[in-house]
Amino acid sequence: MIALLSLSVAALFGAGAYMLMRRSLVKLVMGLVLFGHGANLLIFTMARAQRGRPPLVPEGAEAPTAPFTDPLPLALILTAIVISFGIVSYAIVLIKRVYQDVGADDLSIMTTTDR
Amino acid sequence: MTLALSVLILGVLGVAAPALHRVSRGVAGVVVPAVPLGLGVWFVGRLWGLEGAALVERRAWAPDLSLDLAFRLDGLSGVFALLICFIGGLVLLYASSYMREHPRAGSFTGVLVGFMAAMLGLVLADNLILLFVFWELTSITSFLLIGFDHERASARKAAIQALLTTGLGGLALLAGAVLLGIAGGTFEISALPPGLAEHPLYVPAVVLILLGCFAKSAIFPFHYWLPNAMEAPSPVSALLHSATMVKAGVYLAARLHPSLGGTAVWDDSLIIFGGATMLLGAILATRQDQLKRILAYSTVSSLGTLMMLIGMGALKAAGYYLLAHAMFKGALFLAAGSIIKKTGEKRPERISGALRGAPVLAGATVLGALSMMGMFPLLGFVGKELTLKASLAHPEFTEIVIAVAAISGALTVYAALMVGVRPLTGAPAEGATRAADPSWRQLAGPVALALAGLVASVWPGLFVVALVDGIKAALSVEPPAPADINVAELLWPPSAATWLSISALAVGGLLYWRRRAYLRATAPIDRFGAVGPARGYEAALAGVLGLAERLTRVLQHGDLRGYVRLTLLVAMVAILAGSWRADLLRVPASAFEGFALLDVLLAASFVIAAIGATVQTSALASVAVLGGVWFMLAMLFVLFGAPDVAMTQFAVETLVVIMFVLVVLRLPGYSRLTSRSGRFVDASLGAVLGVLMGVLTLGVASRPSPETVSAAHAALSVPEGFGRNVVNVILVDFRAIDTLGEIFVLGIAAVGVAALLASSPTTPHPGPRQRRRSVILETGARWILPVMLVFSVIVLLRGHNEPGGGFVGGLVAASGLALQALAFGAAMVSRKLPVSPRTLIGAGLLIAVASGVPGAIASGVYMAPLWTSVTPPGFPEPLKIGTPLMFDVGVYVTVLGIALHMIFSLEEALHDRAPVA
Amino acid sequence: MITVALPVLIPLTAGALCLLVWGRARLQAGLAIAALAGMLASSAALLIRADSGAIDVMHFGAWDAPVGITFVSDRFGALMSVLASLVGLAAAIFSVGSLDPARARGGHYPLLLTLVGAVAGAFLTGDLFNLYVWFELLLLSSFVLLTLGGTRPQLEGAIKYVTLNLIGSLLFLATVGLIYGATGTLNMAHLSRLVPELDPTFATALAAPLLVAFGIKAAVFPVFFWLPASYHTPPPVVSALFAGLLTKVGVYALIRSVLLFAGQETGLLATVVLWTAGLTMLTGVLGAVAQSDMRRILSFHIVSQIGYMLMGLGVSMAVVARGGPEAGGLAALALAGSVFYIFHHIVVKTNLFLVSGAVIRARGDSNLAGLGGLLATHPALAGLFLFSALSLAGIPILSGFWAKVALVKSGLIAGQWAIVAASLVVSILTLFSMMKIWTGAFWGATPASAPPAGARERRLGASIYGPIAGLAAVTLALAAGGSVAFGFASRTAEQLLDPADYQRAVLPASVAPASAGGEG
Repeated sequence: MIALLSLSVAALFGAGAYMLMRRSLVKLVMGLVLFGHGANLLIFTMARAQRGRPPLVPEGAEAPTAPFTDPLPLALILTAIVISFGIVSYAIVLIKRVYQDVGADDLSIMTTTDR
Repeated sequence: MTLALSVLILGVLGVAAPALHRVSRGVAGVVVPAVPLGLGVWFVGRLWGLEGAALVERRAWAPDLSLDLAFRLDGLSGVFALLICFIGGLVLLYASSYMREHPRAGSFTGVLVGFMAAMLGLVLADNLILLFVFWELTSITSFLLIGFDHERASARKAAIQALLTTGLGGLALLAGAVLLGIAGGTFEISALPPGLAEHPLYVPAVVLILLGCFAKSAIFPFHYWLPNAMEAPSPVSALLHSATMVKAGVYLAARLHPSLGGTAVWDDSLIIFGGATMLLGAILATRQDQLKRILAYSTVSSLGTLMMLIGMGALKAAGYYLLAHAMFKGALFLAAGSIIKKTGEKRPERISGALRGAPVLAGATVLGALSMMGMFPLLGFVGKELTLKASLAHPEFTEIVIAVAAISGALTVYAALMVGVRPLTGAPAEGATRAADPSWRQLAGPVALALAGLVASVWPGLFVVALVDGIKAALSVEPPAPADINVAELLWPPSAATWLSISALAVGGLLYWRRRAYLRATAPIDRFGAVGPARGYEAALAGVLGLAERLTRVLQHGDLRGYVRLTLLVAMVAILAGSWRADLLRVPASAFEGFALLDVLLAASFVIAAIGATVQTSALASVAVLGGVWFMLAMLFVLFGAPDVAMTQFAVETLVVIMFVLVVLRLPGYSRLTSRSGRFVDASLGAVLGVLMGVLTLGVASRPSPETVSAAHAALSVPEGFGRNVVNVILVDFRAIDTLGEIFVLGIAAVGVAALLASSPTTPHPGPRQRRRSVILETGARWILPVMLVFSVIVLLRGHNEPGGGFVGGLVAASGLALQALAFGAAMVSRKLPVSPRTLIGAGLLIAVASGVPGAIASGVYMAPLWTSVTPPGFPEPLKIGTPLMFDVGVYVTVLGIALHMIFSLEEALHDRAPVA
Repeated sequence: MITVALPVLIPLTAGALCLLVWGRARLQAGLAIAALAGMLASSAALLIRADSGAIDVMHFGAWDAPVGITFVSDRFGALMSVLASLVGLAAAIFSVGSLDPARARGGHYPLLLTLVGAVAGAFLTGDLFNLYVWFELLLLSSFVLLTLGGTRPQLEGAIKYVTLNLIGSLLFLATVGLIYGATGTLNMAHLSRLVPELDPTFATALAAPLLVAFGIKAAVFPVFFWLPASYHTPPPVVSALFAGLLTKVGVYALIRSVLLFAGQETGLLATVVLWTAGLTMLTGVLGAVAQSDMRRILSFHIVSQIGYMLMGLGVSMAVVARGGPEAGGLAALALAGSVFYIFHHIVVKTNLFLVSGAVIRARGDSNLAGLGGLLATHPALAGLFLFSALSLAGIPILSGFWAKVALVKSGLIAGQWAIVAASLVVSILTLFSMMKIWTGAFWGATPASAPPAGARERRLGASIYGPIAGLAAVTLALAAGGSVAFGFASRTAEQLLDPADYQRAVLPASVAPASAGGEG
């Protein structure tokens, strides 16, 4: 199972990296999103997930019945997802504004501030 | 700490001088020079008492850096201290009249005195690091003084040149000093053991230290900065660039001679570079047509002479030459300053005869010039004779040394005549202003120094012998022979040296008499300047600037994609190297156990979707594919028992898709911007990075699982966290501070989105637009809203035990209002809302922050949970109400506010016009 | 102890309050200044406590480490928190007199507060994932500050800044996951016990992406491009805030994590760090030499000085790797040089950017070509600039000098010739470009284009001179009390090099080495 998850991680990071190297701002942001999901999936892999064993404590029990999915990575992912939501929504509006000012969805014409 | 005090006094005076000037220039003109003169007298007293011994003061300052407040007054530092104080005092007196009209005379005096303090510290310092401290300070003050008339571009240029040259030397000195300290086992100069030549660090230390000395003392190949420094006002030229600062290198060379001398590296470098400088300076001096530049180059020559004499170990000659030069060169610079100021003319050829009306000034000039020539019986004569004697006595390559000394002597005579005689003789050029003697303040310096040069030699017993003896005592290991002299004996019976100096005088005089022919003949020498070190400096500077230009253009090219590629490449290299060394590239078989068809399908679809997202040709399509990826991610979480994550994932990604669509709809479709080959390169880069991340993941995940802290979370969740949903308990209790940061991130994001949209250059859309009303939607929305609000609260409350929580609850409530916005328009809804979304965010954040306070009050620990049970109507079993729940309420409110804030500002954005571009 | 959380909670609370009084710039400014003053006070209290050798901790929610999240105030953390609040306070005051109304109303102050709060969080937290959260908060706050006002240069700079920094963040996030997967904990003290038990090469493999991520944040060669592309685009006060704080968070994290993973393949890490340091300081300073705009020059100098900060770390690692009798003291000396340099750099660099802001306000331009004669028109400003510039260049006995001598001395004793040579060349070039600004902007004749000194909109008020003079006073204290300050730096370095106290302070006795789980 781990191998499959790792494969998916690879796919997400790879695709993300490719998208990050496009000239289109939209693709740039999508690349960041894919990267983010790669990271989340990576963390999820670390949970050594158990199918159908959520870390919930049954009524009346003191602790979840083992084996159960490691809850901490899930919590981390939850936080990470929400954070990346905030940042991505900001990034989306940013590229919209840039498009308004620059008039093109093309990075290679945006080299003025380095000179 | 009287020695430290003497430095401090000058330092304070320097700081106070500008203010003093503002109060009264008259008072300042008297007080400021009086202080160093007084100090000079005090030093005389101390030296008198010492009788060859040394006065040492030491106090630890920064032991880790081996920097001590160590000061040492002995014969050598004593002589320099006297030069600094007396010549400094005279120069300040001179400046008080010379700079009278200058608007910034106050700050000028301040910096000048500040320099004197630094210089005094330099010669008194008995700690290598402390010496470096003062060394650098003299460079900076010199920089400020050279560029004092900064409206002139030439002055600014000269200042930078001097700073860079001496600064570079200073840094070499720092490194050299530290190496010397390591080699000698102490940073205490007087404690440095002799015979360090054996130490492996000896040669690098010597080379670096000599670099420092040469740069500071304008020794070839660093001589170029000194003449340019004549941009400075004349008092500066007299004090810094002839009498004191440029002698710092000489001082240090002499000071370290006992411990570093006696080897070829040290002695011969001093002799060779010193001799070369001596000759070069003398030659170039004869090629100048301006008073101050002639003097500057002859100073370069003298500095070379001193270095050479130290290298020969001829301390007596060095001592006399040092004193003689300080006196006549100081006098000549000051006199030249007055002459130029009076006549407004820099070139001696043009000044001719202008000084007829200024007998005193003329007298001092002549006396100084004669001493510079080495005319009997002035002190310059003594210096020159001893120099020639030393050259004659030098065992190695004697002929060259003698030749150099003799030729320089002759040329110096010529230069002296140009400076001291030419301005007085000849018929006044028409239109040349006839100068009268300047005020006594301007005359005191030149006259005193010129006369001192006479008195010293005719009455050696008065002070000069004692001084030179002091120098020798300070520098010799064994008790030195007395350095007494008799001017008459030097002249008669005539020795080889005598004949040499007489012939030098004759040749110099001849050259002066036939100077037109001489200048014609030597004209080619000027071309040396075109290839000399001065050009070297220019070239080096230009080279650095060019390199900087090119490198920066290559690196900081401005194309983000290049940056991204490089950044990702760095990451790849790091990860590859790491996992290769750790042997993670070999995948363990265990990793492939326990496949289920479902898993395979999921993974396959991930790969397909991820790749699919990259190949779409329309933005909308790739958003759709991306949506697919998100959906599957959520599915994965559902399957593997992470319902919370799944719910959040669904909710969040829906919002993101909506926003993407809103933006993408307004952007042009993709166009193939990159060439096929370019895409291939990027694709392979991406593939490699992906594989590496996968390998890393696999490498870590396929190891036996370590004991995790989450074991504690699962165990504590119910008994102490009172929640059966461990993930939620982690979020609102175990790691609540994470969540606090997270909702702040969301709040900032909402603010940022609103701010960006508000700054849009688009034209505001005209008034309320016609919206197609839909009765069903409106009634639906009207009825659904309360239901959703109630439901959202339930989600919030049950979150602690079942999947759910404040975040999802907030989103549910927001979606209810979003529906209203769809039905009635955002403007209307936001009008209806009792509070603005922004206020909701603030309030929510405050509730979340405040939820930690009760615990802090109760147990001094922020967010320490407090619990109580209540049974609200409609709930079967009593509910555990506690501060973590309050925290979750904060999350709920914040998220609601954020969602509304974004929806409203985007609903606005939906209707903006196309960019006005 | 609640006090450890105050430097974070105070500014965040004030930031939330600002949202409630939206659009009322004066009120928000007052709120921000008051909050940051409070933050400064609380951080100072922490620093005093920390210097007594005590390491205060705050287990949030009373969950013992490593179950919950712990804030730790050791010497380094407390010092950085003090500096963060100092810079924030100076920026807030400077904003009052320099910021345009639109930005002042549009959220400048709440963003400033959350930024500074998040920075303090990053300095004080003892939890790796929590560090990620603070990183993201300060990152997003800086994004929004950077684009507030939305001029085209700002947006263009922001695209680069955002993209490259997010790549760093996501790499960091992924690595946190890997580290958790390998050790089962996120608590740094706990990690410092567990990491040495991993096999060395595996530990290094985990460290590699982490160091790259922090390297991006710290703007080291060759991943610094986001900084020169963006720092000169926002209002000067924002540049000053960024210059003082952002990259230093990266350096801080870099130092902490290198020390965390250094236990094993120290020599290798040292080599990597030293090469990075050298190349960073050289490329940075050459970049600065190539510029002709005050703010661009200063921006590139940030990069080159990051190199200095890493130099001390690298030298000290190299010494530790080599071992020997004198190793301990020498390693501490080198690391103390880095600590002192960070301290000095934050104050001086912020101040220089503030001065550039004052220049822009006085002349409407920061390009040297259009400047000149400020010494005549604004002598006080000139004096303050010269003082800070010489400090930056490390002229004795100003603040930079102490760090320089420590780095050079330790480097030479350790036999690291190359890096010492590089640092000396860089320091002369630094002096050169500082004097380039001095001769170009302050010396020379006032250009005809310059507005009359008394022009109303050009006048520099107390809120401009106040922060500059204040920071200059701190620099002066740092110079005059150099030996004292350096003593503190040495103690900080010793504490950093010996994690035992840190572990004892954070972890319950029950958490024996190697064991996880925190029921204790």
